[in-house]
Amino acid sequence: MIIEYHRPQTVEEALALLARSQPVAVPLGGGTVLNQPSEKDFAVVDLQSLDLGTIAQDGREMTLGATVTLQNLLDSGEVSPALARAIRHEAAYNLRQMATVAGSLVAADGRSPFATVMLALDAHLSMARHESDAKKVPLGEFLPLQSEHVPESLITSVAIPSQTQLTYHYVARSPADLPIVCAAVAQWPSGRTRVALGGHGEIPLLVLDGRSPDGAEKAARSAYSQAGDQWASAEYRSDVADTLVRRCVQELGE
Amino acid sequence: MIINLRINNNQHEIEISPGDSLLKVVRSLGYHSIKFGDEHGLTGSDTVLMDGVPVNAGIMLAAQAEGHKIVTLEALGEHPEQGWKESQGLHPLQEAFVETGAIQCGYCTPGQILAAKELLDRKPNPTEGEVRDALSGVLCRCTGYKKPVQAVLRAAAVLRGEDLPPLAGTMPAPPEWTAGPGEPSSTDGEWPVGSDPSPAGAVDLFQKVMPKISLATESDAWQQVGKPEPKVDAVKLTQGKPAFVADYEKRDTLIAKILHSPHAHARITHIDASKARELPGVAAVLTHKDLPRVAYSTAGQSDPIPGPLDCFSLDNKVRFVGDRVAFVAAETAEIAEEALGLIDVEYEILEPILDVREAMKPGAPIIHDEPDYVDFADSDPERNLAAEIRIDIGDVEAGFAEADRIFEHEYVVPKVQQAHIEPHVVLTYWDEDDRMVIRTSTQVPFHVRRMIAPVLGLPVKRIRVIKPRIGGGFGGKQEMLIEDVAAHLTIATGRPVLCEYTREEEFIASRSRHPMRVRLKTGVKEDGTITANSMYALSDTGANGAHALTVTGNTGHKSMALYVGDGPYRESPNIRFYADIVYTNTPPSGAYRGYGVPQGYWPVERQIETIVQELGFDPLEFRLKNTLRAGELHPFSTAWSEGREPVPETIVTNELPECVQQGKAAIGWDQKYGDEDWQQVPGQPHLRQGIGVATIMQGTAIPYLDMGGASLKLNDDGSFNLLIGATDLGTGSDTVLAQMAAEVLGVNVDDIIVYSSDTDFTPFDKGAYASSTTYISGGAVVDAAEKVAGRLKERAVMLLNEVELFDPVEAEEIELRQGQAVSPDGRAVSLAKIALHSLHHADQEQIMAVGSYMSPVSPPPFAAQFAEVTVDVETGQLVVDRLVMAVDAGVIVNPVTASGQVEGGMVQALGYAVSEEMVYDDEGHPREVDFRDYHIFRADEMPELEVIFVEVFEPSHPFGVKAVAEIPMNGVAPAVGNAVFNACGAAISDNPVTPEKVWRALRS
Repeated sequence: MIIEYHRPQTVEEALALLARSQPVAVPLGGGTVLNQPSEKDFAVVDLQSLDLGTIAQDGREMTLGATVTLQNLLDSGEVSPALARAIRHEAAYNLRQMATVAGSLVAADGRSPFATVMLALDAHLSMARHESDAKKVPLGEFLPLQSEHVPESLITSVAIPSQTQLTYHYVARSPADLPIVCAAVAQWPSGRTRVALGGHGEIPLLVLDGRSPDGAEKAARSAYSQAGDQWASAEYRSDVADTLVRRCVQELGE
Repeated sequence: MIINLRINNNQHEIEISPGDSLLKVVRSLGYHSIKFGDEHGLTGSDTVLMDGVPVNAGIMLAAQAEGHKIVTLEALGEHPEQGWKESQGLHPLQEAFVETGAIQCGYCTPGQILAAKELLDRKPNPTEGEVRDALSGVLCRCTGYKKPVQAVLRAAAVLRGEDLPPLAGTMPAPPEWTAGPGEPSSTDGEWPVGSDPSPAGAVDLFQKVMPKISLATESDAWQQVGKPEPKVDAVKLTQGKPAFVADYEKRDTLIAKILHSPHAHARITHIDASKARELPGVAAVLTHKDLPRVAYSTAGQSDPIPGPLDCFSLDNKVRFVGDRVAFVAAETAEIAEEALGLIDVEYEILEPILDVREAMKPGAPIIHDEPDYVDFADSDPERNLAAEIRIDIGDVEAGFAEADRIFEHEYVVPKVQQAHIEPHVVLTYWDEDDRMVIRTSTQVPFHVRRMIAPVLGLPVKRIRVIKPRIGGGFGGKQEMLIEDVAAHLTIATGRPVLCEYTREEEFIASRSRHPMRVRLKTGVKEDGTITANSMYALSDTGANGAHALTVTGNTGHKSMALYVGDGPYRESPNIRFYADIVYTNTPPSGAYRGYGVPQGYWPVERQIETIVQELGFDPLEFRLKNTLRAGELHPFSTAWSEGREPVPETIVTNELPECVQQGKAAIGWDQKYGDEDWQQVPGQPHLRQGIGVATIMQGTAIPYLDMGGASLKLNDDGSFNLLIGATDLGTGSDTVLAQMAAEVLGVNVDDIIVYSSDTDFTPFDKGAYASSTTYISGGAVVDAAEKVAGRLKERAVMLLNEVELFDPVEAEEIELRQGQAVSPDGRAVSLAKIALHSLHHADQEQIMAVGSYMSPVSPPPFAAQFAEVTVDVETGQLVVDRLVMAVDAGVIVNPVTASGQVEGGMVQALGYAVSEEMVYDDEGHPREVDFRDYHIFRADEMPELEVIFVEVFEPSHPFGVKAVAEIPMNGVAPAVGNAVFNACGAAISDNPVTPEKVWRALRS
């Protein structure tokens, strides 16, 4: 249960609040996950007044303020069709108005389409820290640690490259259902290719980061070779991962 | 903490807790249009506009909203007539929702209207795809979204200043229409979210709101019946008025919470609530030690309940994860939750039964070992048997011996949930006469009153059950589910108690459709004649036997009655239906729209398809050759009637052949079925299109049992109060009943003031189930209206014959029309004048009558349901592109509400086909506890829906009606399964048809 609410006006103030441990204080983006019923007692530090809601584009990368909502991002006109599709797949209209870019990544599980494409895009998180320098953390490093509470730190923005091509495909029981398997492939002008899979487990998986898409399908098949749960068998996920990655790679050239 | 909230331009300074949701705070300030739907923001019934955009107030903190502009539906419009005060009237969106039939239960309407308002403020000329995207955050379980989407498009046109003809009062579409070859489906492998190219505006809106309908000639002269009248409750629901149980506030109301079992099967060896009772703010804690043991059934059915009495308000044993352990009433929900955690419980864990096949094995754990279990008929708790059915019609073995081919298959149908957006909710209190008032979201107020009396130790006469508006039921509320929880706590505390389920509680501790394993055997001759068929259903009733016998009985009664065979087999069909309905340690099954029949049609129609393919018959010809026809005996009517005495019944009306013809034309069957070119998708070699069909029937009420009553009272101005026990749960039954009364009385629908239902005021009605209200309660309304009409005519004659200039007239010569009593010589006296005369002037009397209706027959509606799908043969991904249903439901009283029923039912059935199921792990813990995992269809992922009514006048009813409510559930899943088979040859025997099942079938 949320037992304290704070709305700091500056990042410094926010970091000071987040440094507290009694009760544990956590950053509040839109609150679409944090505000759901919970048995733990904690304090929230609402980021809405920190002016972190802007989108900047410098031609090389796009920097999304931490509290940019998924709908802001969709409406920015700066997103590729595949990213737009993944955002729509992530949440319905109302939730997209509330859910923030940073909050969605912090709360993501393996079935998050948005986290899957952001992982393929090699998103980097800017982490402001109390009384030390800000640092940039790749999403791929952040995701495995996402459930660990890091006091005194705050994601202030998320950067994704502007010049990549992105493709996204998924399989689900119905068009708007959570993915059983989803695949995202990002390719840089240099040929660098990153492949991410979602639909299973605690976080999406990076299955390839190479100079070309060579071997992507096999890597996908292998990455999901143990990905069985109540929703689908590993055999199925592994085969479909291969197929979806193949389609994503094929579509890159189109 | 103290915050300032700006809501609808009102400033509120209010003290809150930091964790309080905006939903809780806004409702506490008296804005009731926003509703609780779930705790994860996935239903969107909690939508408000914050700085103009729709957000979910249930998962937003009130504190987050400080400094922002909040708008609720209360800000939009008001009733167009406010007496002497000028009214701004309804907002065009609200008007359009009323006019297009976009409102059924109305629980999600405020959220839909607000989400649409944001869209139209931003984009005056949206595409249909954009409308669907905007509505995607508001789940609706009633409508199938077709009419709400059209409502938004219509409102957009009105707001743009376009001059649109009114929908209300217009005639239905003409009986002849041209059926096209069907629109090409969108099969580019991506879903058309937000990029729908369909034309904007209201050009074809009329066709999209109105169903196609071929009219029965009997209705030609009718003024009210058959017309698309707006729903009588729509104006209040479109404003989000406080019409639902949770909107009614009593001072000092306590909040009830339930401690649910974490174990599937366990005995409570120790329970101590003393710490919980000491918590400040806790008013009462009840455990099994505090309540008398009264065995009862939760099934809302007529007396005597056709099932075992195997429930106790609280027991010393728990039988599923989610079963009741204790009740708490406290000043706030938070305190009540905290108290639950302070109840000290020790369990002796028992071995659970989670696989229905294990239940009757020797040595299996016994789920109901209590000595006070009350048997019904063949229930045998020692074998975990809640009920068994053995029905033999004709001689099945002889029939199989006469067949050239025998087909035998096994099918599995899943547990699924009603998922009404308003959860179960009840408020109880002692009134000033010390009578227990139970204001509850129920389909069966009269059954609840009768059934709860012994449980509470009160006589029926000291209980009053009030049913306000209901936010959807679908069978889930044909149950006395939590009324006892609140009432026990009111007895314990003397105070009002509100008990409202969370969404998680809906999943773990309410009711669901019975899952079944079904073996089906059919004998067929070379010429395609079915000689015999036999079904064995192993039905899983979960931990309690409510509806066990009757649901599964209907599986046979209505799905095995359709294919009687041809030739001599029509005279004497050979049909066997056996079933064992067994207990398991899963949440109890119960009533869910279709009531056992969808479970039967999945196997029957999937197997018919297999037979057709193997023997090379045309699927439609084969079906029509073997299906039941008018003039024939309903085969099961000789054998079974819901556990009561059966009476043979002949089918009088059956337009199934015409339904097949119209449905075929609408979906373009002849152009698509068997056309390999059509099945290919250009440029997408991994995709295949397919088309499938199912023919189905249902029943209309339970003969010789279901009774509805109605009373009708004349007011001073010639208007009438129609008081009915019938329970409109969003279906529009109040409206169609008013239309029937208005037709008989020659008045407009708005002269009929409908009230339903209150056990103190309204006549008895068995409630809303068994597809019965339009037929049974409608019969009662007509009965009452005819009696009132008779008195009106007598009084008219008194007035007309006062004038001696004219020849005296007789009452029989008087016609009631347009609010007047008219004599053959053209003289007329208004009903208002008759009213004043009879109430005030001479020979004073209250013109009022009670009618009731019980039917000796249950005329089945028939239908053909078609599905068109696209299958990805590499991944098994299935997309349903189009659903068409052509239905013979007798005369259609209101084409808009009836087609809304069908569309909504088709979409629930679509979930049953592809995405909905409740799965348990090997300890009985559920996989689905929210709408994230239990996926019901959203506005932005819908296939195209088309409804066709093939009218026929059913002579057993004064207005020729049959039922329409449940039949849409029956055929969608098998039509989809058959279409998948047609597309790619994947034969799926277990629904839902998930991608992995298709993928496996393609590789086997």
